[in-house]
Amino acid sequence: MSELWNERLRRHQLNQFKYLRLIFNDNFVLAFIVLIGALGFWYSNLLGTIHQTLTFGKPIVILLLFLAVQVGGIATLLEEPDSTFLLVKEKDFYKYFKSAKNYSSFLPIVTLALVNFLLSAFASRGAGLKIIDIVVIAAGLIVYKLAFLDVNLMEIYGRAHFGKIGMRLASNILLVVALIVSTYLFSWTMLIVAIIYYFFLNARVRTLETSGQLQWKLAIETEDQRMFRIKRFYNLFTDVPGVNSKIKRRKWLDGLLTPIKPVSSNTYLYLFARGFIRNNEYIGLFLRLTVIQAIMLAMIDNFYISLIVEMLFIYLVGFQLKPYFKEVMQNLMQRLYPISGKTKIADFTKLSTTILSIQWIVSALAIIYKFGMSLNSLIIIVAGLAVLIFVNYFYMPRQLKKYLD
Amino acid sequence: MTLEVKELTGGYGQVSVLKKETFTVESGQVVGLIGLNGAGKSTTIKHIIGLLTPRGGRILIDGISLHDDVEKYRKKIAYVPEMPILYPELTLKEHIDLTIMAYDLDHDKTWENANQLLKTFRLDNKLDWFPQNFSKGMKQKVMIVCAFMTDASLFIIDEPFTGLDPLAVNDLLNIVEAKKKAGCSVLMSTHVLATVQNHADKFVLINHGQVRADGTLDQLKAKFDMQPDANLDDIYIKMSNEDL
Repeated sequence: MSELWNERLRRHQLNQFKYLRLIFNDNFVLAFIVLIGALGFWYSNLLGTIHQTLTFGKPIVILLLFLAVQVGGIATLLEEPDSTFLLVKEKDFYKYFKSAKNYSSFLPIVTLALVNFLLSAFASRGAGLKIIDIVVIAAGLIVYKLAFLDVNLMEIYGRAHFGKIGMRLASNILLVVALIVSTYLFSWTMLIVAIIYYFFLNARVRTLETSGQLQWKLAIETEDQRMFRIKRFYNLFTDVPGVNSKIKRRKWLDGLLTPIKPVSSNTYLYLFARGFIRNNEYIGLFLRLTVIQAIMLAMIDNFYISLIVEMLFIYLVGFQLKPYFKEVMQNLMQRLYPISGKTKIADFTKLSTTILSIQWIVSALAIIYKFGMSLNSLIIIVAGLAVLIFVNYFYMPRQLKKYLD
Repeated sequence: MTLEVKELTGGYGQVSVLKKETFTVESGQVVGLIGLNGAGKSTTIKHIIGLLTPRGGRILIDGISLHDDVEKYRKKIAYVPEMPILYPELTLKEHIDLTIMAYDLDHDKTWENANQLLKTFRLDNKLDWFPQNFSKGMKQKVMIVCAFMTDASLFIIDEPFTGLDPLAVNDLLNIVEAKKKAGCSVLMSTHVLATVQNHADKFVLINHGQVRADGTLDQLKAKFDMQPDANLDDIYIKMSNEDL
């Protein structure tokens, strides 16, 4: 069983590296460094303005720490066929999950350490916590997260409840209470509670080895969803095969489609437009990025950062539409249509131009809101338009050609 | 409509699955393409519809090849794949509309055909549903409707009977019969020999990527030295045993 785990883990990591390498290409790293720099700049400016303890300082620290504990769950790396082929090995899976838990504790520990480290400056200035308090609370949170992973493990055995109350909810309530007591009264509370809770859960988990009954369907679904979330994240930056998304009818949006006349030359526009508004993947991505971009532009006061945000986000949305074209091109039936590849690309360009134009107009409004009618606004808006034209008429047609056959 | 396959050689990548296949489908003929799993039936079909490019030989429909005039060639063919292929984002009605647009068909006339077919297959009350969520048999019916509502002259159907309920099999055979009467041709690959024996005019037996024999049932019996009361099953088994 541990061999199976090691093999799975090796394959999983290989996959992750492959995607990470694709994500961290030159353009992205550059944009990433700029964004991190901007955030760091903003954070240090913010700290500079804090001269005394804030009343909402501690609640903010509690909220951020609470959210940080939610990051990461148990990665079981289970696969669909396991429920058929490895059903007989069910008892041995306990050991497999133990290894899985060990591996899964790495990411949350790093996250918690990092969040606590970054937050410490604010916590000491704005919330009036001493460094020793912060370190003790951080240690407590890490132990608590390890206990939380036991809850995840019990969930896939269908044993994660105290009577009628779900263990996850109970654990979160306990966490909030412990955090409040730790930050306001006595900082060691978090660590003490965490250690006791950890041993308590550990004892419960041990009984699973002999008397546990694995909930195969739930376990596989949970892992599938976890994988899907990871892949969807990667999919923001690069092509990930096998990310199938939910499709909703959205009849109320049919009105948007009426301008597309049902004539032969519009065949693909008809198809692409419907797919775009019904496939959660693409409409969701467009809405997310457009809203985030508008909020950032409406808040950031720096010309250069706004310029980069405007250009980067338009490029990102355009770039993200590519996989949709590819997805449709993989449908065999459409390859038989008596319609040329050129028309297919032209129809797709019509759709992407419409989408990016909407995004561009929204972002332009946000820029005018922040910078007013000024030369700076004009430069940023024109730069956005330039990216839009570049993506739609130079970059995409070339890229899309690859997907035609 | 005549389909001519002349010395067709081809396959996927570097491997030649088909070796010099030659057969024809004449106007108003229903031809059964028969062979074991992996014999090359689907590969042959993929070459005819133009999803694969032949490495050698020619495929002509009414004397033109895909290479001569892509649009003209493609408009002559309607295809029902072995596994239904649908657009996850389109409703049943939109699948029909899209097909009408893609093949530049007359909207009203085609919808008339489509409505009739939809009624036959009891899909007429599901126009606003996503076929992607249908059962295998119902998806297959959608593919059949989209293919047979067109004014193609060559219908290529790959394993049409799997997953269809007996009523639908019967309906499909009636539709094929009607198309035949209208002068169209039908090429179907199948393993359901008893059905195809009664409904096809001619059979093409494929083994190891080659046409082992073709002709009517009587001609095949003669070629394989079979009793007069032998059926397609017997011939099929005899062909398969030749390898041993």
